[in-house]
Amino acid sequence: MKDILMKIVDRTAQKFGAEYTEVRAQRLFKTMLTLKEGRVEAAKQGIENGAALRVLVNGAWGFASVGALNFETLNEAISDACKMAKTASSRLKTPIKLIETKAVEDKVVAKPREDPSKISIEDKINTTMTMNNKILGYDNHVKSCTIDYLDLTGTNYFINNEGTYIEQDKLYVWSRITAIATEADVFTFSREEIGSTSGYEIFNVETPEIVGERVAKRAVEQLKAKPPKGGTFPVVLGPNVVGVFAHEAFGHLAEADLTLSGSVLLDKLGKKIASNIVTFYDDGTIDGAFGSFKYDDEGVPAQKTLLIKDGVVVGLMHSRETAQKLNAKPTGNARAEDFRVEPIIRMRNTFMEPKDYSFEELVEGVKAGYYFKSFRGGQANLDGTFQVGIQEAYEIVNGELGQPVRNASISGNTLETLLKVDAVGKDFELWPGRCGKGQTAFICDGGPHIRVKEVLVGGSA
Amino acid sequence: MVVLKQEEMLSLAEDAVKFALKRGADEAEAFTYQGLTTNVVIERGQIARSSRIIDRGLGIRAIINKAVGFSYTNVLESNVTIEETVRKALSSAKASKPDENWHSLASRKPLASVEKTYDRRIVELRSEDLVKVASVMLDAAEKTDKRVFPIEGGAGASYLSVAVANSNGIANFDHGTIIECSLATIGQQGGEVTPVCFEFNTERSYNIDPEWIGKEAARLAASALKAKKIETKSTNVILAQSAFQDLLYFTLINAVKADFVQRNQSAFKGRIGEKVASEIVTIYDDGLFSGGLRTWRFDGEGAPQQKTLIVEKGVLRNFIYDNYTAKKEEKESTGNAARAGYLSTPNVEATNFHFMPGNKSPEELISEVDDGLLVYYLQGAHSSNPASGEFSVVATPAWKIKNGEIAYATKGAMLAGNIFQILKNISALADNERKIGQLVAPWVLVENVKVIGK
Repeated sequence: MKDILMKIVDRTAQKFGAEYTEVRAQRLFKTMLTLKEGRVEAAKQGIENGAALRVLVNGAWGFASVGALNFETLNEAISDACKMAKTASSRLKTPIKLIETKAVEDKVVAKPREDPSKISIEDKINTTMTMNNKILGYDNHVKSCTIDYLDLTGTNYFINNEGTYIEQDKLYVWSRITAIATEADVFTFSREEIGSTSGYEIFNVETPEIVGERVAKRAVEQLKAKPPKGGTFPVVLGPNVVGVFAHEAFGHLAEADLTLSGSVLLDKLGKKIASNIVTFYDDGTIDGAFGSFKYDDEGVPAQKTLLIKDGVVVGLMHSRETAQKLNAKPTGNARAEDFRVEPIIRMRNTFMEPKDYSFEELVEGVKAGYYFKSFRGGQANLDGTFQVGIQEAYEIVNGELGQPVRNASISGNTLETLLKVDAVGKDFELWPGRCGKGQTAFICDGGPHIRVKEVLVGGSA
Repeated sequence: MVVLKQEEMLSLAEDAVKFALKRGADEAEAFTYQGLTTNVVIERGQIARSSRIIDRGLGIRAIINKAVGFSYTNVLESNVTIEETVRKALSSAKASKPDENWHSLASRKPLASVEKTYDRRIVELRSEDLVKVASVMLDAAEKTDKRVFPIEGGAGASYLSVAVANSNGIANFDHGTIIECSLATIGQQGGEVTPVCFEFNTERSYNIDPEWIGKEAARLAASALKAKKIETKSTNVILAQSAFQDLLYFTLINAVKADFVQRNQSAFKGRIGEKVASEIVTIYDDGLFSGGLRTWRFDGEGAPQQKTLIVEKGVLRNFIYDNYTAKKEEKESTGNAARAGYLSTPNVEATNFHFMPGNKSPEELISEVDDGLLVYYLQGAHSSNPASGEFSVVATPAWKIKNGEIAYATKGAMLAGNIFQILKNISALADNERKIGQLVAPWVLVENVKVIGK
């Protein structure tokens, strides 16, 4: 592999005068299952081989992707990429440059305790079936249950014309579990995800029984829930919701490509935007976490990146292009879903740092409000408007948890809301998930419980 | 890489089916996919990149004793890999569990013809041509308003071809083209940033208007400036197509899928023949819609695509089916099996979900509203409850309507409610139908929607 890739990179500079050339080759294997009420819809296995070739010519990017790894195809594709770049450069106002990084030669070998590619499909079906049985057996109001399972293994080969060559194993184990409970004309929906880069051993911690019960119990308990009142309320947010808030409401604005596109953070670097107790990180180095990797898809080592320290914006997440543009250090946030697409700035494991409150102390401080425990989707906009849908919520009445509430969502402006965080808990949880930004990335987010003085709650009552 | 021709696409699929049967499959089906795409990308006010993506592969379903196995590969150059893929489909089927409801793969049926799905001019477009298209959009946006910044967008041209073969004698081929161009903008003034505004064309024929896209994307962003918070109350809401598509995609469209109905996940279960929407609502799932973004001669299983009446003057008439869900009820597939290229097994999915238009111009629709909101885009529709249809979303951007005219942009207003109630409260339809993803629809006026403001 290395010889072919080196030959391609060498030729490009000579033949097309590219300022920068990289080739990312992949060999990937996937196993997938979908269970619907315990029916295996299909057991699936796939092979994907391909290469992504990216060049800078006259300050513009050219990109080609092909589903093959032989020299002839790659050679043709790199010439395509250079032509594409030249065409794109015809209307360029500001040439694109990359921040310098140290050349790296490395081989990263995955060392799972339980390698998913060595576990039989029968075993994987058994694991998901156990989960299914736990869910459907939990309560007769649970009417349906869908379980998706995916494992991905393989190797990424990365080479560029600056002397970097990295072979990096890929390993992901993921599952999404959803259940629907019904009573009369009420439908409740509950979902969980499991995700790990360590190996199949994740199911020893997130066992099918534990996860199945969590999903089913929520669906059933929500049957008794009532719709929330719409309006502005004080709230306590659980780690799962704090995580999605850190990711959606703040994180996306701090992805330097979006910051440069005019997100509300553009002129806030070095300024205070949150209360003193707010500290956010995006960390690609947490062992086994779903958003972790050693090198990003530009060959830059992943780091633990401080984004907000004690309420002040101190960093953004970068690709080599945006780091150069903003004169910052590269952070290793450039990720590509696969060889079909270009690397773009993505989060890894994004979280809020815990402080000193207990959960009881947080709830005690709320006279009439809500406890939002678990989320269902979230989305942010460049102007700082965020929305987080909630799948598990409770009223807080006079400092105590009350009745369950369903189908709520919260919204507000990120900058206003961060200043209203008035207490931060001492616990901590990290949750796996997937983030969509044209491409899908595997991520984690999390934090402690927190209390926010007011957010807008969307309700129908 | 050489483009695979019709005969090659078909013979790849047919050979894989034959090999699977020889190796012991009771039934087999193969799906070949090929996509060639050229893109020119706008980033932060300039054309910054161009790309060419060639993606193709083969997906095989093998059935043994009513258990389904699937395998795919994108390595098509060697028979060894294809045979290996067939073997994996078989081993997957053997590892899997029998499905008592499995009947058989789709059977061979005559296909209807489709219009305006292939345009040679799109196939022949070069990246230079797309750079021109993108430049026209950028220039038009810049000329329209100085407070507007084009953050991203671009132009793309694709050629797609698919072939399906199965052991019931299906051997179908179709190909088509798609051209897209889009521009996302924000307005900036005195520290205020607007939400992202967006305009686009997606067409099967070379029939795009980049100048209009640039102007309109800029006009939207400029008019989203000086946004104000509004009061909480129930009011009239006009949903533009993008907002409507977002809401329907995560709620109503699922509710009419036979898979959701059969699995007790649809509020429409057992309600065929009942009134579920306002009398002015008629909806078809039209897999043959002329120039439709999802118009093909056959679906992901090789079954003919067709036009299916879903809601007739407010009354629920039919659900949409793939081969599996149809046979479970001893019905015929409605041609609604969709695939994510060669990478997935088929799933029930809408084709062109055609919400029939009314006869009022959009201006007339606005003029009928004394007090209300015009909503272009929604944030958070994917967090809707897919089973109950309940949603709680943010309208960004949206504009306040007062006395029949657009008064000002609103800030952070939320909409909450239930899609099934929305359908009943639709009181008028405009005539400005357009295609967005699966939806073909006009602007709709909905009465009595809960809006949560400050």
